[in-house]
Amino acid sequence: MPGVARPDLAFTREILGLGAGDLSSCYQCGTCSVVCPISTADNPFPRKEMIWVQWGFRERALANASIWLCHQCATCTAYCPRDAKPASVMAALREASITHYAAPAFMGRALADPRYLPLLLAMPVLIFLALLGWLGHLGSLPQGRIVFSKFIPILYIEGIFVAFMALAMLGALGGGVRYWRAMSRQMGGDGTGPQRALLPTVVTILRHRKFSECASHAPGERRTHKGHLHRTHLAVFYGFLGLVVTTTSVGIGIYAFGYLTPWPLWHPVKLLGNASGLAVIAALAVFAWRRIADGARAGKSTYSDWLFLTVLLLTTLTGFLCQALRLADLQRLAYPMYVVHLVLIFFLLVYIPYSKFAHLVYRTTAMLYAASRAPAAEAR
Amino acid sequence: MDKKLGVYVCSGCGIGECVDKDKLVQIAREAQQVSVVKTSPAFCLEDVRVIRDDVAKDGVNTVVIAACSPRVNTDVFAFPGATIERVNLREQVAWSHPPGHEETQSLANDALRMGIVRAQKLKLPTPYTEGRERTVLVVGGGVAGLSAALGAAKAGAQVVLVEKEARLGGFAVKLGKQYPKHPPYRDLEDVGVDALVREAESCADIEVLTAAEVEGIGGEPGAFEVSVKRNGEARALRVGTVVWATGWRSVDASELERYGLGTLPNVITNVALEEMARAGKIARPSDGKAVTTVAILQGDGAEDETNIKYGAHVTHLVSLKQATYIRSLIPDSTVYVVYRDMQTPGQYEYFYKRVQEDAGVLFTRARVTGVSSGAAGRVRVDLADSPLGGAVQLEVDLLVLAAGMRPVSSESEGLNLQYLQGKGLPVSRYGFADSNFLCFPYETRRSGIYSAGCVRKPMDLAAAAVDGAAAALKAIQSVEKASAGASVHPRVGDLSYPSFFLQKCTMCGRCSQECPFGAIELTPGKDTPFVVTNRCRRCGVCMGACPVQIISFDDYSVDMVAAMIKAVEVPEGDEEKPRILVLACENDAYPALDMAGINRRELPASLRVVPVRCLGSVNAIMAADAFSRGFDGVLLLGCKPGEDYQCHFIKGSELLTTRMDNVRETLSRLMLEPERAQVMEVAISDFDALPKRLAEFVDTIKAVGPNPMKGF
Repeated sequence: MPGVARPDLAFTREILGLGAGDLSSCYQCGTCSVVCPISTADNPFPRKEMIWVQWGFRERALANASIWLCHQCATCTAYCPRDAKPASVMAALREASITHYAAPAFMGRALADPRYLPLLLAMPVLIFLALLGWLGHLGSLPQGRIVFSKFIPILYIEGIFVAFMALAMLGALGGGVRYWRAMSRQMGGDGTGPQRALLPTVVTILRHRKFSECASHAPGERRTHKGHLHRTHLAVFYGFLGLVVTTTSVGIGIYAFGYLTPWPLWHPVKLLGNASGLAVIAALAVFAWRRIADGARAGKSTYSDWLFLTVLLLTTLTGFLCQALRLADLQRLAYPMYVVHLVLIFFLLVYIPYSKFAHLVYRTTAMLYAASRAPAAEAR
Repeated sequence: MDKKLGVYVCSGCGIGECVDKDKLVQIAREAQQVSVVKTSPAFCLEDVRVIRDDVAKDGVNTVVIAACSPRVNTDVFAFPGATIERVNLREQVAWSHPPGHEETQSLANDALRMGIVRAQKLKLPTPYTEGRERTVLVVGGGVAGLSAALGAAKAGAQVVLVEKEARLGGFAVKLGKQYPKHPPYRDLEDVGVDALVREAESCADIEVLTAAEVEGIGGEPGAFEVSVKRNGEARALRVGTVVWATGWRSVDASELERYGLGTLPNVITNVALEEMARAGKIARPSDGKAVTTVAILQGDGAEDETNIKYGAHVTHLVSLKQATYIRSLIPDSTVYVVYRDMQTPGQYEYFYKRVQEDAGVLFTRARVTGVSSGAAGRVRVDLADSPLGGAVQLEVDLLVLAAGMRPVSSESEGLNLQYLQGKGLPVSRYGFADSNFLCFPYETRRSGIYSAGCVRKPMDLAAAAVDGAAAALKAIQSVEKASAGASVHPRVGDLSYPSFFLQKCTMCGRCSQECPFGAIELTPGKDTPFVVTNRCRRCGVCMGACPVQIISFDDYSVDMVAAMIKAVEVPEGDEEKPRILVLACENDAYPALDMAGINRRELPASLRVVPVRCLGSVNAIMAADAFSRGFDGVLLLGCKPGEDYQCHFIKGSELLTTRMDNVRETLSRLMLEPERAQVMEVAISDFDALPKRLAEFVDTIKAVGPNPMKGF
């Protein structure tokens, strides 16, 4: 039994500012819940989230698995009779929850606010400049055929990334645990632990089953502008995974077999890397184009959306550029580009728990929670 | 004056192909008082001249036109100085029965016979033209009353405006602002009633009497005798019509007791909040402290029936307006608006959206489970069934209740009618002045008296302004009609009125009690009835009521109906040819029969239709006549009675349902089965289903068997 309602209108205004300004026109008709593929009779999502935000119920709105179980099919937005764009409100809630659960909290705020962007970029830039200075490569580029490990030995790069990724993992773990605990408090649950749910959840993610389920439940003919999401995300997901596999394979090749880079272009791993990179770039181009073309109807994009998209796109593009410049034997461009590429990778990977990339933390947590501890109907 | 009938049998529109017109001509020739019988392939075209010439030159003074329905071509078949009887051979014979059939022919024959006997008895009514006063009296100086006065004055009428208070303007004067009435319907607007008051006060054709009260109204449209009391002095006025616009008051505090009104000091009504907003300071009544949280309850749940029926569509918008007041006066405030069913009709939806844009106004649908005193003088409101989920508690500095708008009773104040039936206007189920709400919303059950504004139904200022002007136009219409001796709605222009054969009157007074319009008074000391003509709507309910049948109209009487029943040839000894008398209300049932014909639906050929002004005008003796003439059944087709009546004369259908007891008594006296007489509710839109229902009734009658009285 809750106590006296204490609306936190600062929270309401925060969400309104995250591209969800149309929320105010929601009058709780429930059309969104009728058309939503993941809404159930005792969990009228996203209708209840809409009024929780209107009433400034921060805890209830954020400690909530549904917002992350939603895969942004945007059918609700297409059918909302008042054009309140519930899908945009859910996206804003997800964005707010990344900031809300961020550990440490200041990292969450830093990624959410464009004023901190120079500072966030400065960190990897300074780290790599310091390293180059220490290596004595700041003034002079290595001579001869371009081999990036001559510029910065791979071991140093591994050292830096292992250290910072460990911090990032801790941050992700902290955020995930805070989110889990908040859900346990607010939603309760009567299931068992997450261990048994882990494998099915991972399979679901790999198969992108939620995307296809949501997309296949379209109730009528209205355009949601998100029909491409399943395919596009699939491309970017497996493209990114391909790049991860490529990098890992290269590491194994170097350390286990002493097979030094650069590898020839016809090498299967190299082929996989290039194909994956192309898939990522193509998918990101579609994402970016749809955000621009459908913005008015499908909902506004926020700083955090564009930041993630841009960093991922630039990371992949600079990777290709490095390869191209290397093959063209343009030393003066290739080595600096390699540093830019490393800075972007740092930005992309180390800030995972705080940027929009954190969806892999929170969505997985929510899916695990839902699969393992189905909350009692009452608590919802 | 001797009757000289001309009978004109038309064969156009399929009549000639359906029935044998020579047979009809023969019937007409054999009838009494008939001087000419003529036929034409289309009397409504140039051949109308034939009739006109007969009237003008040959002295035909009663025209029987056997052609289309009396509802059409009324402008073509109009011959000044002659009475006109229309026999409906098109819609109700040719278009709804198989051509060349024996039963179709006998239907047409009977229809013509009935028309001719009715024509023989028709008299041209002499209009009553004693009420020629045209001044409009407006009671109530609020927005509705002011608009009525100005509307009437602009239309050329002299107006007397009576206001109880010392100043004009009504409730609008007490308002802070009004919710938006113009596109884009976003921002509050000034009330602007001052301009209306000044306009009324400076209008040469409006005499304003403030601090005045109506002591009594007697007389009739075109000749109302009004007594107005002002400064202790009574003044007599003669007016032609009255617009009644005395407005509303909040529902009694007792209706809102469950929300703490009267027991918790910081619970107030929306009227009290309006005063605070007007004063520019919204504070807690208990200690004068500024408020930061306010809840506005709509009181529109299932348990609030008495509250919501008085205008939730207005009070919801008032609540939105008041939320805006509070938010603009106290920027850091939070306002909760709790409703069950938000009603923001039409363009006001934009205003609702506008108020929603302010994040400081929180809306929720909910059921209020309790209001109690909270900490530090606050008011605690418990909510359930809210989309927020679970029980929700609010603690607020001020609780505002949207109180319903109850119309000011005409019974206790305002009009003081000197009518036998009482001082006030009869009210409908919800306490508003009764009228046929759909068809004639401004008419009350007192002819010449029109209700406007919140006495008619809860409404806002914009609606009241329109309402006042509209009622004024109806009022002007009514004096125009009264001066010509004609009826207002629904028998607009009818010049006939009831007359009483008083030698046979038993002074039972039933006519004066049952008249839906209070038109029949009793002569003091003698208790004999007389009609106050211009109050009369010509429905004939008195005619249906009179147990000794002494009430009749020049063109409508029990005797006429009896003659028509007698004119029907009832076949004997043929079980396949029953005869059923249909008394069909002219307002909905008769047009529905026409529409069945227009849509080429087949009607049973055994029906003999006699149009009646209202089911209320059906006298029990009509059914008795039919049965003793050998009819096998009697069907009464008319409008829906009851609380949500459709009867155009409000009480007619309802009175009939009680009179049916007499009809059944007649049946049992004649040793006949009770199924033979039935009432069937018909709306004008029922024409599609009507033929089937009629056929079922015919089957019922066939199953009961022939009337054993045939041939007596």
